[in-house]
Amino acid sequence: MSVMPGAVRLGGRARRLRRTRPGPVTLLSGGILALMAAAALFGTWVAPYDPAAQDLALGATTPGWAHWAGTDELGRDVLSRCLAGARSALLWPLVVALGTCAMSTSLGLLAGYRRGWIDAVMMRVVDLLIAMPGLLMLIVLVGVLGGGIGWAVLAMAVLFTPGDIRVVRSLTMAQRELAYAEAARTLGLGRARIMFRHLLPNIAPTVVAGALLSFVAALVALSGLSFLGIGLPAGTPDWGLMIEENRGLLDLNPWAAVVPAALVTIAATAATLLGDQLFERLSDA
Amino acid sequence: MAFVARRLAAALLLLGVLSVLTYALLALAPGDPEQVLLGPRPSTAESRAAVRAQYHLDDPLPVRYAAWLGDAVRGDFGASLYSREPVTRVIADRLPVTAGLAGYAIVLTLAVGLPAGLAAAMRRGGPLDRGITLSALVALAIPPFAMSILLLYGFAVTLGWFPVFGAGETFAERVTHLTLPAIALATGQAAVVVRQMRAAALDLAGQDYMTFARARGVGRAHYWIGYALRNTALPVLTVGGLLLAANLTGALFVERAFGLHGVGELLVSAVGQKDLPVVQALVLMGGAVVVAVNLLIDLAYLAVDPRVRHGAVAA
Amino acid sequence: MLETRGLRVVGDRVLVDGVDLAVAAGETVGLVGESGSGKSLTARALVGLLPRGLRAEGSVEVGGAQIVGAAERLLRGVRGRRISLLMQDPFTMLNPLRTAGAHIAETLPGRTSRQEIARRLAEVGIDDPAVAGRHPFQLSGGMRQRVALAAALAGDPDLLVADEPTTALDATTQHEILALLRRVQEARGMGVLLITHDLRVAFAVCDRVAVMYAGRVVEQGPGAELAAAPAHPYTSGLLGALPSVERAMERLVGIPGAVPRADEVAGVCAFATRCDRVTAACTAARPPLRPIGRDRLTACVHDTAGPAGTARPPLPETALPTAPPVLRTAPPVLRTAPPAVCPAGPAGDEPLLRVEGLRKRYGAHTALGGVSLHVNPGETVGLVGESGSGKTTLARSVLGLLTPDGGRIRLTGLDVTDRAALGPRERARVHRLVQCVFQDPSTSLNPAMTVGAALAEATARAAPGDRIGVAELLELVGLPAAYAARRPKALSGGERQRVAIARALAVRPALLICDEPVASLDVSVQAHVLELLRGIGRDLGTGMLFITHDLAVVRQVAARTVVLLKGAVVEEGTTSAVLDAPAHDYTRRLVAAVR
Repeated sequence: MSVMPGAVRLGGRARRLRRTRPGPVTLLSGGILALMAAAALFGTWVAPYDPAAQDLALGATTPGWAHWAGTDELGRDVLSRCLAGARSALLWPLVVALGTCAMSTSLGLLAGYRRGWIDAVMMRVVDLLIAMPGLLMLIVLVGVLGGGIGWAVLAMAVLFTPGDIRVVRSLTMAQRELAYAEAARTLGLGRARIMFRHLLPNIAPTVVAGALLSFVAALVALSGLSFLGIGLPAGTPDWGLMIEENRGLLDLNPWAAVVPAALVTIAATAATLLGDQLFERLSDA
Repeated sequence: MAFVARRLAAALLLLGVLSVLTYALLALAPGDPEQVLLGPRPSTAESRAAVRAQYHLDDPLPVRYAAWLGDAVRGDFGASLYSREPVTRVIADRLPVTAGLAGYAIVLTLAVGLPAGLAAAMRRGGPLDRGITLSALVALAIPPFAMSILLLYGFAVTLGWFPVFGAGETFAERVTHLTLPAIALATGQAAVVVRQMRAAALDLAGQDYMTFARARGVGRAHYWIGYALRNTALPVLTVGGLLLAANLTGALFVERAFGLHGVGELLVSAVGQKDLPVVQALVLMGGAVVVAVNLLIDLAYLAVDPRVRHGAVAA
Repeated sequence: MLETRGLRVVGDRVLVDGVDLAVAAGETVGLVGESGSGKSLTARALVGLLPRGLRAEGSVEVGGAQIVGAAERLLRGVRGRRISLLMQDPFTMLNPLRTAGAHIAETLPGRTSRQEIARRLAEVGIDDPAVAGRHPFQLSGGMRQRVALAAALAGDPDLLVADEPTTALDATTQHEILALLRRVQEARGMGVLLITHDLRVAFAVCDRVAVMYAGRVVEQGPGAELAAAPAHPYTSGLLGALPSVERAMERLVGIPGAVPRADEVAGVCAFATRCDRVTAACTAARPPLRPIGRDRLTACVHDTAGPAGTARPPLPETALPTAPPVLRTAPPVLRTAPPAVCPAGPAGDEPLLRVEGLRKRYGAHTALGGVSLHVNPGETVGLVGESGSGKTTLARSVLGLLTPDGGRIRLTGLDVTDRAALGPRERARVHRLVQCVFQDPSTSLNPAMTVGAALAEATARAAPGDRIGVAELLELVGLPAAYAARRPKALSGGERQRVAIARALAVRPALLICDEPVASLDVSVQAHVLELLRGIGRDLGTGMLFITHDLAVVRQVAARTVVLLKGAVVEEGTTSAVLDAPAHDYTRRLVAAVR
């Protein structure tokens, strides 16, 4: 049980430094996401063209000086549309991730810490929702019932939450049995204080990683929905929709479909890798 | 046995909820049910009356649901609002393409995923492990439709190795036509298998009973088959359900991207056209398949793990 | 039959550094060491099964076959037939998917028959042949260890390496398994290398004992001689720290500091930094293991290390905290004289804690079947029982962590049986009346909070008038004030338990429940913590309910002892009466198991 002397000597500053210096994968994926976030915030100012401006006479062209990524069938600038699409591509998944994270963390902590009937009822619902073919239901619901992106985002958050509740709950249940949590109860600390001050920090790595995974899943699912022509009206500058609209142009201007496809892929990959690294780092600390 | 009964009851309950939700689609869809069910047909007094009679629209909701469910259980989902053909025949026409695609993808998934996961576990922490783990993370993140476009552009358009659209006629054509779609579909699933296999193998390698078996001289064949294979079977089995769900939804995107006329594409176009009978039938069938496979996995647990058999732990 | 020469285990750094051992046929040799000494790695190296990333150097010969560097093919022929390994945890050692019989059958030489398996089970004391068809999860810990032993012996090895084979078991079961091991060893004329952290176990069963420290053997000799006259200061330190089951010791003396890493002491005496007899010769070169008599070897450069248990000279101030100096001069404000703390208690002879007819069931299992006991103010009561006796359920009931099914719990006269029924003011009072020190030092502190934050949170719960500062609390348990900035990860097990004790004392409880507080600590650290707890009882007047499975520990701390068996009190009395003249059959077996 004795701590290795080496670990003790490397106290304070030195260790904190080593812990906070990010690796190349973290830097790269973090940088990519930051760049995309910048595009989402300021993309419309930087874009060379109005993303909706058509030039029917021009039609689909390959990349050139005027249009760096070429144009689509209606002569719209692909680069400008990609920049404009960053906003919806990142914003809605962010909303889903934050919503899912907030709901699953609070409900999972509650169920895992209180147990009893709250837990029993919640777990029945969670089991049912998890067993559903979720994305299928989502496609059908949003597709048939309409209602646009707002409903899609809400439905997605509801869809993603049960799985995370289960994870948070089981971690909470494991933590609450540990001696430090029992000691906190013995001291008579309040329920909220124990849940959020004591248990939450110890499951935080999973919560953070889970939020990033939800972000990725939502990014993929939402662009998938618009790829299927569901959720967003035709003509909206959106990566998924651009792939769908331009996949017939692979021989005329492949970039019109390939660039948004690559963007979705890169964004999802970067967020996944960042989540993975963050989890390792946080749980290591 | 209690375990089987409980699982069966849960499966039935799930199917029940799913069918209610599916049926509720009709009530929730924008517009009158009769208007929805008329679809693109001209709306006359006679046609309205015919639809009301055919779908029991004048009966109270529970009765309507019961009648619909009774028909559905017998395989009668009505006729497609577009092609006017029976829904079951429409689906049956599309099934071979999807089955071929899914089967191909599963083969690729297992052929790549299991050995890669095992190799990563055996070379734990080494460059091979890091490479495989990183690739799996990337593969996990790539959406199937983006993967499809990138594959199409790379291998079909630029290199010209594979056809761009369609499913082909002869078996050989089928295989070449379905190769890229199957890869697109298998990428994410293989990543799941790699991660699960690696975790299961690592967990197993750290188990005391594995060391103990070697320490008392258990033979090599027995060690690998009776110990390693049998004990990793359980955690790897659990991915089966995940894989299937991924296959079902992934097929939607991949078929669309590659212009394959499969069941997934049928669902997407039926949703777009608000062809409710087709949508209802597909959702219910998809749900039934997922539920059935999960039930099979539970039963497999029962067969392999004595602790589940004796009710000592839950599966 | 087994001979190792200069055995080293090397990974990123050296973990085991030069172990010379020999085991002859029909001989039982003990390898004793605390956690981190490298004894388990040595065991693994002997069967050629080191964890990934580690490799053995030097020489290990088993029946003439060289193990170090041997091909896996050759090792497979040696393992099971010449040398076999019995591991520590019976709950993880058996494949959960295979039956007991299958475990034995898979390494039986020749044709396996049902009779042969039954015979092998009978050899390890299992007379019911039906056990062969059971799965591990259907067997108790002791039964599993017997099955594992039968499986380890199925290939009829000449030598059995038993790595802490009884550590995970209850005292009485432990006793049975050790006796069984001895019996089987004698019947088969087999050699046994018994690896253990428990000096008493080693002395009781082994012909010769080797003491390991920081990856090397520091002393070797016949058990009885080692116990009577240790020739290495580490051995005598261990013996001095060992609580006696026979008598209450005046003072328990731990060894200061912590075990160094093997690679950091490669060229010097490994014990030099913690030794009070250190001279220039100790750090000039590594002292070799030298013979000092028949069968005796020591790695100490000095002539003799003095008999066990002698008072050592005062330690240098630079040594890590040991005995808390403040206890002797505890300021009056720290004293938790019960009347001052619980003014609302009714006058008269109401004890601090009174438990009456406490009952608790979990499904079909009765955890507590009507337990009654009491603790008087300032008194330390030992609660002795094995796993499943209900001792932890009792503690959790008193702490309000669970609600009993029946019976009554009163603290200074206040009925606290059902915490939910108490008003907020009474509840706050109860939290100040009773606190707890839990068993596992690795989880007793919140890893996300610094020591200071955890203690500050606890003091904030004390009555406004008598809050104690964080520095004062740390001083009370013998830790420097600078530890407030540390996180639990940077503390050793013993230090964490000290912080846990400080946290419990922060609200100045009248009753401290200690739930196996030293069970997970090494002997040398255990002595420090026990001494600290004794001091708290003596100097602060805190009443204690001390839960333990260890009779030697209870002898040292408790004035009165209650023995619990399967949820019922079977014996109660002064500690000396219970331990010296046990009345109940179960207590007699418990006492016999450690003698």
